[in-house]
Parts: sequence; structure tokens; C-alpha cells
Amino acid sequence: MIAAFIDNMRLALGTFRANPLRTLLTLLGIVIGVATVITMMALLEGLRLKVNKDLSQLGANVFRVEKWPSGFNLGGRPNWQRISKRPALTLADRKAIAEQCPSVRVTSASSGQPGQKVATAHTESQANVFIIGATPEYIDTAGIEIAEGRFFNDGDDSDGRRVAVLGPDVVDRMFPKVSPLGQEIRLRGRPYTVIGVLERRGKVLGMFNLDNMVFLPMQTYLGAYGKRRSVSINVQAHDQASMDKAQEEVTRVLRGRRQVPNEEESNFEISTNESTAKTLNELSNVVTAATFGVCLLSLLVGGIGILNIMLVAVTERTKEIGIRKALGARKRRILMQFASEAVVLSLAGGIVGLGLGYGLAFLGRWALDFPTAVPVWAVALSLVMSSGVGLVFGIYPAARAARLDPVEAMRSE
Amino acid sequence: MLIQLSGIERTYTVGTEKVHALRGVDLSIDAGEWVAIIGQSGSGKSTLMNVIGCLDTPTRGTYFLNGKDVARMDDDSLADVRNREIGFVFQNFQLLPRETALANVELPLVYRGVKAAVRHARAQEALVKVGLADRVHHRPNELSGGQRQRVAIARALAGEPSLLLADEPTGNLDSATGEEIIKLFTQLHEQGHTIVLVTHEPKLAARCPRAVRLSDGLVVADGPGKEVALISVAA
Repeated sequence: MIAAFIDNMRLALGTFRANPLRTLLTLLGIVIGVATVITMMALLEGLRLKVNKDLSQLGANVFRVEKWPSGFNLGGRPNWQRISKRPALTLADRKAIAEQCPSVRVTSASSGQPGQKVATAHTESQANVFIIGATPEYIDTAGIEIAEGRFFNDGDDSDGRRVAVLGPDVVDRMFPKVSPLGQEIRLRGRPYTVIGVLERRGKVLGMFNLDNMVFLPMQTYLGAYGKRRSVSINVQAHDQASMDKAQEEVTRVLRGRRQVPNEEESNFEISTNESTAKTLNELSNVVTAATFGVCLLSLLVGGIGILNIMLVAVTERTKEIGIRKALGARKRRILMQFASEAVVLSLAGGIVGLGLGYGLAFLGRWALDFPTAVPVWAVALSLVMSSGVGLVFGIYPAARAARLDPVEAMRSE
Repeated sequence: MLIQLSGIERTYTVGTEKVHALRGVDLSIDAGEWVAIIGQSGSGKSTLMNVIGCLDTPTRGTYFLNGKDVARMDDDSLADVRNREIGFVFQNFQLLPRETALANVELPLVYRGVKAAVRHARAQEALVKVGLADRVHHRPNELSGGQRQRVAIARALAGEPSLLLADEPTGNLDSATGEEIIKLFTQLHEQGHTIVLVTHEPKLAARCPRAVRLSDGLVVADGPGKEVALISVAA
């Protein structure tokens, strides 16, 4: 049995050697299918790992309360018209949470304005800087650290002082040579004094840059960008164990303040880093499934290629089959020979595709600076799928070979 | 009795017409005999050779080979019988072109499940026996016609079958080479091998101790090779 297996493997590789180019072209469908899966999975997995890591950096045991649902929510289509009529979350809500929720350690409020320009006396940035108004506690709830200078204190906030804390990217651009501390920046023409610089944090999702930001004290920000806007309330629980309880308390307090009837849904959203990670993972699962759909099509095409080349092989080698049968090969033996040949061929295609996929993933990481990681299950699955394709599409030609009459077969040229 | 055929008929259906290739052949061959089956094309000798070689089964009649009733066996059982009992030597050699002489000779042993090391040794031995000790690793296209036929004979011998069945073994060879092959058969006969040789050449049949003449699907003569070979075709 094992000897027969080795013999079949040797024969299968012999076919490959006899016609390498033709074989390779036939296998292209499988190569492309597997390469696609591997590349896509490498990108998705890399992204997923990175996002989970990024999100875990955003402060521990923290959840956010917001008026708007987060963009990644996949659970049905949100009713935007209704959501837009929700009352804004205010600093008073935050104060109530801080006073009435025992499981809550600290809260902060923040609000952001994307796509802003930052200017100094000498230079001006592009309109891509995120301006965030935040209360002093934000430094705890957001898990950020100060590299130089200091973050806001209560006095900065309550007095609405014109001070700012810069992200490192803003510093690099606006103050490449001098220390930014004590320097002046201008936002919408108003001057602010730089009092601190944040530690570098990188990007979330490879696109949302956490370093290209300017922080202002909340009152200062509201004064400059509009007092009536809704704020996000960032809540930190005492520890991981009290996260659920803290969320319950916050929900109860806010529902009371916002007079939500018992039977109705809350008119605000609570999201944790975990829930964001979860929705992102769900999104990546959808993309994974779609990729596999595309890949299955490609493997189908590859399978037809296998069917084709094996039918050709059986025709070309009719004489050989006749000789083998005359000398005592049973039907099953011939069937196994050609079926394993098909499996070996398409597995070879799978392995080439695997190599190509790895190469593309590596290229993605190196050239596009995109995180990639090839998941082991994708490797295993593509190898199983490609050999499966070989078996399914190789069995018919193999059965045809096995049924040949030895006398007739030997007569063919 | 190695071979016992009685009342063998073989009928083919070609389109709507029935062709009676064999119409009741009775033939017995003892172990150690060298028998020529002679006849013109269309006489049924190829069909008889296929039946004796278990490549085909008779429509009617019984066939005992080495004590086994092979007339009604299924394809896989016939494959096993061919593998163990019969060593084929074909007119156009029927070697696998991509394999070496050694691998070709090993083939029947592969299908018998013989271990690789034993296989190699026995195939090597068989090649030495036919005088090809120095051509073991050559492929068929690197060998002359005579050498190829020797490889085929080695392959037939390697499985130590009870019957060597040769179909026009000199048909594709020049007369000198053909003569060498016949000498090889003579030696094998002397060593005790049972040989059935199918041919249309009276000269070849004349050199066999016994010959059977087939005509129109029936045995028309059976006797010493020299006598049967000389009977006029009209008979």
C-alpha cells in the first residue's frame, strides 16, 4: 500500500517533468486561487492583529458614550433620521455620571473637529489635522502620555485658556528645529500657546493617525468651535471586573436624565474597545468569506484545467495504461495512479500559489508598509482545497483510464 | 496439464454483424512444451492468443490455466492471473518509454506487491539472463530493436510465470536479430519454460517442437512443428 503510494507519487512527478510548461499553465487557475486567498488573508489577519493591538493601547477598562453609533456597527441599518433627533450629550451628563456611578473611576469629555489647518508665523499645515477639545482627565481615559511639557489642568479648562498640546506629527511639521514649548500656533486665526507634546502612538487601522492632532482644553475648544455640540464621554471603570457594572450604571443615569421610557431603546451609544474590535473582526470575517467565494471560482477554473490535462494525459498514455493492465495492474491501481497524479499536480499548483501569496504579502508589508500575517489555517485550508480540487476533477479521467481494455489500449499509438 | 481449452468460442459484434473469431477450439498444452500457434491473419490466432493470455474471455467454452478456471473471471481476477501466470512478449515490445530497462522489467513485480529491494534484484537477474547486464539503466529509445525485445523477454521472465506467451516476437526485427531472439527462446525452452508462440511464419513454426494451425476459427492441424508448418494453407 505504501509502496504503491510512493510509486504513484513518483509517476505523478514524472508527468510534471515530462511537460513542465504545459502543466504549469494548466495549474494557473489553482495557483491564482490559492495566491489570492493567502494574500488577502495575510492582509486581513495583519490588519486585524494590528487593530486589536492599537485598540488595546487606547486605555484600559474604558468605554465611550456617544450620541452617534460608531461607524463599524454592522447590526442592521441605523435609523439616521431618528438618531439625528437625539439630544446632545453634555458636560452636565458627564458630571452626573461622575457623581452617581460608584463603579466609575474617572470620566472625561472630548469632542473633535477633523480636517483643520494649523499655522505658525512662518508656516501653515494642510487641512488634515484633528482638533480635539478635551477635559484634563482625558489623559487617563485615552491612555496617552506626555513626552514634553504637560497636559491641561483644571484651571486651563475652567478658564478657557488659549493653550494647546500637540501630537508628534504636528510638532515635526510645524517646529522641526525648535522646541515647541512656549511657541504660538494659530487655529482659525486664533493664537494658542503650546504647553505640551504627546508621545508617539502611530495609526489605528493604518489610516487614522493618532499623532496628527492638536488638543485644546474643553472650554477653550467649545468657545472656538461651538458650544452646542454633543461631546463624547469617556468612562474608565475601576477594573476589568467592574466594566459591565459601570456600563449599567451609566446607562441607568443617562436614561433617567434623558427621560427615555422603559420600553424604548437608549438614545445614546456605548462602545468599548472590545466591542469596536469585535465589529471590526466581524467585518473582516465578511471580507474573508467574500474572498473565499472568489477563490472558489478560481479553484473551479483550476479544477477544469486539471480535468482537461488529465483527459489529455489519459489519451496520450492509453498505450501505457494498456501495458500496465496487461502486466497485471488492477483497475483500482490505475485509478489510484491517475487520481493521485491529479492530486499531486493540483497540490503542486497550491504550493506554487502559496509561495506566490507569501511573496505578495511580503511585498505588501515591505512596499506599502501594510501589516501582514499569513494565518496558519489559511495555509492548511488552501492546501486541502487544492488537493480536493485535484481529487474531484481527477477522478473522472482516472476512472476512464481504469476502464480501458488492455488489448485495445495497447493497440493505440 | 498447464493449459486446457475446450469448446472455446469467441464472438464479436461489429455493428449489427456477428463475427465468429473462434468457433470451438480444443487445445491442451503441458508444462514445459514449446508450441507455435500458426495461421493467417483472420484465422483467429490473435483472438486465441488473447484468450490464452487472459486478456479476453471466451463467449463459450472452458479454459483451465494451471488448474484455475479463468473463463468466467472478472477483470481484476484476470489481471492477477496475468500478473502471476503469464509472461508476455509482444511484437512491438510494449515497453514504457519513460522508464529504464530495469524499471520496465520490474513492472509485473510492482503489481504483485514485491518489495523494492527484491524487485531490483530479480529484475537485474532477468536482464543478465537475456544478456543485457550493461543496459540496465538505458531507456527503450536508447536501445536497438533486438535489445528492446530482450528487455521485454526479461520482463516476462522476471515474474517467473508458468507460461511465456509470445506474439510475433520477431515480427519487428531483421532476420539476424530475429534469429538471436529465437535462440533465446530455444534456451528458455531447454531450461524448462513453457512457451506459446503465435506467428504467421511457417519457418518459425517449423522450429517449434509442436505447432497448432488455426484456420477460420478452428484448429485444423496439431503436431510436430515441421509437419504442421508445411501443410498447405488451403487446408
